[in-house]
Amino acid sequence: MNRALPEILQCSDMTVLERQRARLKWQQEQFQQHQQESYFSELSGVFSSQTGHVQGFRQGDLMSCGGAAGGGDSVLSDVVMTRQLKPDPGLETAWPELGKVDMGAMGFGPCGYGNGQSFDMNQAISRTSSCPPAVAAAEVKGNLEKMGLAVERDSLKKRKVEKLQNSKVVAEDDSKRIKASEEEESKITGPNTRKSSNNKKETYGDTSKENSKVSDVQKPDYIHVRARRGQATDSHSLAERVRREKISERMKYLQDLVPGCNKITGKAGMLDEIINYVQSLQRQVEFLSMKLATVNPRLNFDIDNLYAKDVFPYCTTNFPTVGNMAQELANHPPYVQFNPFQQVVSGCGVEMGINSTEMALQRTISAPVSIPDTSFLNTSCFTGMQQIQPSAAWDAELQNLYNVAFTGSIEGSDLKMEM
Amino acid sequence: MRPHSSLKQEFLKKWIMGLQRCSFSKKNMSILERRKTIKFSADIAMASARNGTTCWSRALISNASKDGSNNHHLVKQMLGPESNRPTVAANIAPTRRALVCKKIVKQSRRIRRRRRKCVATSSIAKHLVRKRTQILKSLIPGGELMKIRLIEETLDYIASLIVQVDVMRSLARASEP
Repeated sequence: MNRALPEILQCSDMTVLERQRARLKWQQEQFQQHQQESYFSELSGVFSSQTGHVQGFRQGDLMSCGGAAGGGDSVLSDVVMTRQLKPDPGLETAWPELGKVDMGAMGFGPCGYGNGQSFDMNQAISRTSSCPPAVAAAEVKGNLEKMGLAVERDSLKKRKVEKLQNSKVVAEDDSKRIKASEEEESKITGPNTRKSSNNKKETYGDTSKENSKVSDVQKPDYIHVRARRGQATDSHSLAERVRREKISERMKYLQDLVPGCNKITGKAGMLDEIINYVQSLQRQVEFLSMKLATVNPRLNFDIDNLYAKDVFPYCTTNFPTVGNMAQELANHPPYVQFNPFQQVVSGCGVEMGINSTEMALQRTISAPVSIPDTSFLNTSCFTGMQQIQPSAAWDAELQNLYNVAFTGSIEGSDLKMEM
Repeated sequence: MRPHSSLKQEFLKKWIMGLQRCSFSKKNMSILERRKTIKFSADIAMASARNGTTCWSRALISNASKDGSNNHHLVKQMLGPESNRPTVAANIAPTRRALVCKKIVKQSRRIRRRRRKCVATSSIAKHLVRKRTQILKSLIPGGELMKIRLIEETLDYIASLIVQVDVMRSLARASEP
């Protein structure tokens, strides 16, 4: 795998599906870049060698080829595999022409039809400068032959399948060619590169697996699978193999997540480790909840204390309402009163019907409040309270706290008189 | 590798919200009750942070809000009325597909068994794996329901547990005197 992927794997808060989708997107990006770059470098080379005689020779196709190439850039910028189907078929239909048409004629398509497209070409070339053109040019010859073979097959296949399957076909074409042009890592794709040139049937195992993961989201009717050479071809064993490959893929993700799993192979050992880890995590939760129960007699947590002790150093910027409020309140001397009032506030806001939250908070912030007041409010709220606040009001309260913290003292004195 | 901090913040927010609501119902709780409430509210907060996208979270919430269980009123308090909550009905479609997949797999196994003799080691391995899968299913909430997505759900559940443990640990450390 390349540089981008380990970063993707790092964020394990993404679900497995998202991760795989990201990986597939990345793969397609890489492939598209190389493909575009190889295509355009070939074109530019051809154009420089030939003198210009633009023909009406299949202009419609070449136009679509160039237009699709120009549109392909926008596809790349979006990089959504399943949504953008229109440019991809454009590219696909253009390639059969490549296989048959002389290279010279092909070279004139994009160059002959507008500056905008050449501008796109330049963009593509500058963008894909990572792979050196020399390497690409060397690969292009081999690529084009493989493309010619594969594309004819694919164009035939493509007419048979439905729209949903189009995306899968494109993806598997892409991944096939990724394997052809540069060595990909996974063991499933390894045999594919060796066998793709001389097989009557090729395996779509990897891509079908990835596609089936995507298709889990889309809910398709069926999954394209083909048998590898020398393997059983009935549907049951194919389905079985797809399932096994899916499971092994997920086991790999689990290895990343569960510590100490790198040396263990095999399903049973992995499952053992996973079970142990889940059990230990659940036990930790129990233990910590017990600890918290002993520490806090009233189940209210000092948010301001949390931030004062710098518990979450990396998320104070992302947690504006509570964080700023806490810092703001920490600057005021009577912030110790904040805690009981927080409880009171969240309980009484709806019940009282007035904006007691603001008033209560302003009283806390502006001046020290005596304890009997707080107890009075506590009991009244507890006895009278029936309704529960919706969560939106809670956020609104936090917002109020935040606002109030800035505007505190003036209103506080007025409202004190009212109360 | 550690989960993203945004997940932690969301979990913390929901958890504290839930705790605030839970604490109103009883003024004086014993320590065991408190522990149970804390853990329970943490679980519910964790599950609701997923917004019904995963099977285990839906199963956890639905189990907690069954009328026969002890804390279902707490769940109602924490999460609001039933209409706001994601339903467990989304489980039905995967299980039907899971049944179909299971049928195919069973048939293939029968065919393969007829073709060649079972090697002893592989059958032992399969037995072990099956046993452990059952244990895992018992650990994860709603594990019995899922067959094809077990490992995905496990991944998600482990990530959520890690978040929960981190947040609780830092909270406990912060509230030490």
